[in-house]
Amino acid sequence: MGSRLGGIFWSLIFLAVPVLGVATFAVAPSYNIWLPKDVSEHGSSIDSLFMFILALTGVVFIATEGLLFWFLWKYDAAKAKGPATYIHGSHTLEVVWTIIPAATLLFLAIYQMNTWADVKMRRPAMAPTVEVVARQFEWRLRYPGRDGMLGTRDDLFLTNDLHLPVDEDILVQLKSMDVLHSFFLPNLRIKQDAVPGMKIPVWFKAKETGQFDIVCAELCGWGHYKMKGRVTIESRADFDRWLEETYARQEATQPAPEDVVAPAAD
Amino acid sequence: MSTATASTLSHGTATTLPPARKPRPLAEFLSTYVFSKDHKVIGLQFLFSTLLWFLIGGLLALAVRWQIAWPWSDVPVLGKLFAQQGGQMAPEFYTMLFTMHATVMIFLVIIPILAGAFGNFLIPLMIGADDMAFPTLNMLSYWFMWPAFFAFGASFFVEGGAASSGWTSYPPLSTNVASAPGSGWGQTLWLIGLTMVGVSSMLGSVNYMTTIILMRAPGMTMFRLPMTIWAMFITAILQAFALPVLTAAGFMQLSDRTIGTGFFSPEGNVVNNAIAGAGGGQPLLWQHLFWFYSHPAVYIMILPAMGMVSDILTTFARKPLFGYRPMVYSIAGIAGLGFIVWGHHMFMSGMNPALGVTFMVSTMMIALPSAVKTFNWLGTVWGGRIQFTTSMLFALSFVSMFIIGGLSGIFMAATPVDIFIHDTYFIVAHFHYVLFAGTAMGVWAAIYFWFPKMFGRTMNEFWGKVHFFLTFIFLNGTFFTMHILGAVGFPRRLADAYHYETFHHLQPLNAFMTWCAIGMVASQAIFAANFFWSMFFGPIAGRNPWNSNTLEWTAPSPPGHGNFDFQPVVHRGPYEYSVPGADKDHLMQTDPPNALATAAAAAAH
Amino acid sequence: MNASAISIPHGHDGHSGGHDDGHGHHGPVLQYQPGLPLTRGKLIMWLFLSTEIMFFAALLGSYVVLRFGAPVWPKPHHVHLSEPIGAFNTFVLICSSVTIVLALEFARANKAGIAKFWMLLTLLLGMLFLGVKGYEYQAKFSHGIYPQAPRGLIYEKPDLYYGSAVRARLGEPAIIDKLKELDDTPADQLSAEQVAARGRLQQIRKMVASPEQQAFDLAVVADQVMPLPTEGPGGSHDGGHGGHASGLNDIFPWLRLPAVIPGGNMWASTYFLLTGFHAVHVLVGLIVFTILLFYKLGPKQAGKIENAGLYWHFVDLVWIFLFPLLYLF
Ligand code: HEA
Ligand code: HEA
Ligand code: CUA
Ligand SMILES: [Cu+2]
Repeated sequence: MGSRLGGIFWSLIFLAVPVLGVATFAVAPSYNIWLPKDVSEHGSSIDSLFMFILALTGVVFIATEGLLFWFLWKYDAAKAKGPATYIHGSHTLEVVWTIIPAATLLFLAIYQMNTWADVKMRRPAMAPTVEVVARQFEWRLRYPGRDGMLGTRDDLFLTNDLHLPVDEDILVQLKSMDVLHSFFLPNLRIKQDAVPGMKIPVWFKAKETGQFDIVCAELCGWGHYKMKGRVTIESRADFDRWLEETYARQEATQPAPEDVVAPAAD
Repeated sequence: MSTATASTLSHGTATTLPPARKPRPLAEFLSTYVFSKDHKVIGLQFLFSTLLWFLIGGLLALAVRWQIAWPWSDVPVLGKLFAQQGGQMAPEFYTMLFTMHATVMIFLVIIPILAGAFGNFLIPLMIGADDMAFPTLNMLSYWFMWPAFFAFGASFFVEGGAASSGWTSYPPLSTNVASAPGSGWGQTLWLIGLTMVGVSSMLGSVNYMTTIILMRAPGMTMFRLPMTIWAMFITAILQAFALPVLTAAGFMQLSDRTIGTGFFSPEGNVVNNAIAGAGGGQPLLWQHLFWFYSHPAVYIMILPAMGMVSDILTTFARKPLFGYRPMVYSIAGIAGLGFIVWGHHMFMSGMNPALGVTFMVSTMMIALPSAVKTFNWLGTVWGGRIQFTTSMLFALSFVSMFIIGGLSGIFMAATPVDIFIHDTYFIVAHFHYVLFAGTAMGVWAAIYFWFPKMFGRTMNEFWGKVHFFLTFIFLNGTFFTMHILGAVGFPRRLADAYHYETFHHLQPLNAFMTWCAIGMVASQAIFAANFFWSMFFGPIAGRNPWNSNTLEWTAPSPPGHGNFDFQPVVHRGPYEYSVPGADKDHLMQTDPPNALATAAAAAAH
Repeated sequence: MNASAISIPHGHDGHSGGHDDGHGHHGPVLQYQPGLPLTRGKLIMWLFLSTEIMFFAALLGSYVVLRFGAPVWPKPHHVHLSEPIGAFNTFVLICSSVTIVLALEFARANKAGIAKFWMLLTLLLGMLFLGVKGYEYQAKFSHGIYPQAPRGLIYEKPDLYYGSAVRARLGEPAIIDKLKELDDTPADQLSAEQVAARGRLQQIRKMVASPEQQAFDLAVVADQVMPLPTEGPGGSHDGGHGGHASGLNDIFPWLRLPAVIPGGNMWASTYFLLTGFHAVHVLVGLIVFTILLFYKLGPKQAGKIENAGLYWHFVDLVWIFLFPLLYLF
């Protein structure tokens, strides 16, 4: 069954897997199909962890797929002489190939904990910079205003247009009014689900100015795809000016009624 | 469908069919092929039903791909079926498409084809039993699939359409009727269908366990069982212990939806101006319960394939399985660890991040037994005499593709990386590599391998290889590219992501993937043609066309009622290939003890 | 152990569920090497029960998560749970576990008549349990405690929503008629208690009708409708209803005014979920017993009785967990 040519052909097909696989990853960055620009302080540790795991799994990938190819090539029944090796296993090998991956994975597990703690566990001690309330299908934003406190008369209300100062700790207070959503800032390497009934803190520090996407990354209904916001990172001066202007505009168009604060009060 | 089964079975080797009873032809027909209690017929019923749903699931996938590649453009052919908007799909229709695609593929294809079709067909045959321990229960386990077929099928046609909150059905989207069109009747039917699939699996799994424990042939000790049986056995245990949790959660969601309890809705939750039930509950509770089942379920969806692939690899490498006991222990290890890693789907969910750390560590550890399996497969191929049959090619590609899918799992297990890639196409790439490139390839390997036992005829090798080649190429074209898409952060479940600045340049890549997907589905026509043609006209196979060792190959092809025409007695393990000094290159489990071979086997240990 | 624990090495034993006899066997009757000294029936029963354990574990786990995640949780007598009734029901179930064992013993000893007696008693005890459960449910319903929102009358706090719900109820045509009827009834046709309650009711109607409702007023209303018993040894609750006989809803059952029970909704959801699924399991057991009663309960049926007994002990065990969780903590 299977001519000699067949074996060669099929072995090469299996060789194509690691070759084309590596090639795909190699050329992708040059087509800009790669990690988007990172403007956050913690992002580089996430990205380097990604690259580290890519290298690690890449080695395993090339090694295992390479071996598979080599065995197919070498032990093709149409080519190899004599009967197959009669062997039921090797205790030593089993131990070796359990211990090495175990050590590698344990190292990986410990190695990454710090980054995780930075992004999700070591919350800075500060009042929220802004409250983000997700709802079908928009991002409602509330800035505390001049007094620095949410839930007071001078709160500033906006939708989808988030502005943040650069080089400063930001603490977002994330809530949802209806279903699950997820606050995804690709360029800031931030993602956090918004859960109705919960108040979840999200913190980061942007290190470059610019305009970036806010994506909703948790299915929230038919309009999930269009639940888009923009985040503008700007200097402190620009940010303050923007805050003033926007607040003035809000006052002019809609004098804050007494109960504006009530529904959103915490 | 049943007619087809009927005529093929009668095509088989003439030894086995009983003389027809004249007076009650209809009753006879019904009890033999429709309400049959014979495990082989039930297995084939599962096989045909799931293949049909596979096709439906594949077409749903194509519709999904069409929208991603060319959003809001007219959908060819299928467009006419849902021409609400002049042939172009509405966003809520898209959410329904991927929800039902995943539901069909997981609950109506992969789980029932592995446990239902192959589990049923193979377990009694491979352990030397005449049938399952409880044939009536077994029949019921198939017939409980039909309410599920109806519930899922009908849900497409009810007001608001089928379920559309993802196959994960996270509340409050899924519990609040006002939150999405598909959260009406569609979601209720979805829950009913899920429960029915659950009942079916439950009936099957307790039956399989009982059969394997109590009905092995003399000499068939647990450590002489083929890997397929070990995998089926442990999968049944997984089913039995994980599924009731989903059933309980399903009932809770059903009651939230229908009578207005508030298990999964927080106090005062308002969606679209509609208050959701009594309130006071927790949305995350559903996620915990769901993943407590659905993580073990992903192993339910691959372990049987791993077992079958192990058997196929040894047969066509003409070599004993490398590390039989480690292979068994690693299946058990995967199953055991599988129960403590569910939180890795919830790293971003708002669950306590400290809890995330423990789940991250256990998830890393679950890669170990998988590593053991992978290396042992490579060890099995090493030094073999490889026969490149279609079945072998699919089995090899299972190994090759599982490595890719497994390795991408490591990225997501790393919690900080998951912050970026969670709910992106990186995840979609991961699970299609393990589920489609892994399990489905394993299933094809198994179909080509056991087809002769099922129908007494072999499938065409040439067209089988063409089928393999095209599927293999197109599948990698479709799914490998998803990794780099995920690296950009391209989010899943979006009907149209190109209006985001970050993603707008990715349309051409998506179009390429869609072309590959179309090619992949089209290639299956070759498979379908080969399958049906071979059922009737393929070359007669004989009892043991592959010179394999396990018990089912000692029975007639196809086996008659009661399976064996002699009492099987087992003398050795299932993988005695190329035993030095033996007079043939394989020693079947039933071959009488041969002094020479035994001596050689002893020497090799 | 016992006779039926020894496995039968044949292709068929009593529990194989029966092959369809349309075809005979064409191979030999196969011999097996069983891995456990159990009959098929008993093994599958054990396996089935282990899946049931997971089912109830999920429900109990959810209960624990929801309860400890909730800001407030009502005490048992806030929601009219009566420990004595619960304890009585526990006792009933334990007795029934004993009687089913006796039924098995006598069936094994080939005393079918006596076995049938114990089986019947088991059935009756099970029915008694369900009856008491039904009575308890009725007591909940009569206080407007339902598992679901629209019919349930439970409010978490005496806020404006609560006030308007009370007003809405008082404004329903049927209630207006009833109220008028009550107002018109001469005092000597009513008990002293009812007369007093009528006065309180009139006050309440005034309170909720007033446009300047205060939070304080609403709390008073809530307390009149269904006063929550105070905690501690002096706490007022009688055994029977576990209720608050002085509440307006208790004195005029047709009133059915919304009541305030903090945490009551989630409590009701979980209570009905847990006890409901338990009751369904009891019901299944009763059906099995009824079917068994049609047989001659001799040694031939011992296997079936044993399996039914296993199942029944399991149902019993679940209740042993539920009782303290729901009634005592
Ligand atoms: C058959 C199905 C299957 C299988 C086998 C797996 C296997 C694994 N999965 Fe996967 N997974 C899914 C199906 C599956 N998964 C599905 C369907 C989802 C998405 C659900 C949804 O959200 O819709 C998902 C999602 C998913 C997530 C959540 C991602 C997210 O939503 O953010 C994570 C995170 O940890 C994860 C991890 C893993 C890991 C670590 C394994 C491991 O078991 C893999 C182990 C294997 C290997 C590692 C390869 C072989 C080993 C070697 C060659 C040895 C050397 C290796 C090293 C030293 C690294 N999976
Ligand atoms: C077993 C599981 C399985 C399988 C096999 C597949 C198969 C495929 N899937 Fe699917 N998919 C999922 C499970 C699966 N998927 C899940 C769980 C999700 C997540 C959903 C969610 O987010 O909730 C998903 C989501 C998903 C998405 C993401 C949608 C989104 O997030 O927006 C996409 C997009 O490309 C996709 C594509 C495909 C394609 C092109 C295939 C192709 O491989 C399909 C190929 C089909 C065939 C090849 C059919 C073959 C037919 C036969 C063999 C029959 C022959 C007939 C006879 C002999 C009678 N899938
Ligand atoms: Cu909001 Cu998706
Ligand atoms: Cu998982």
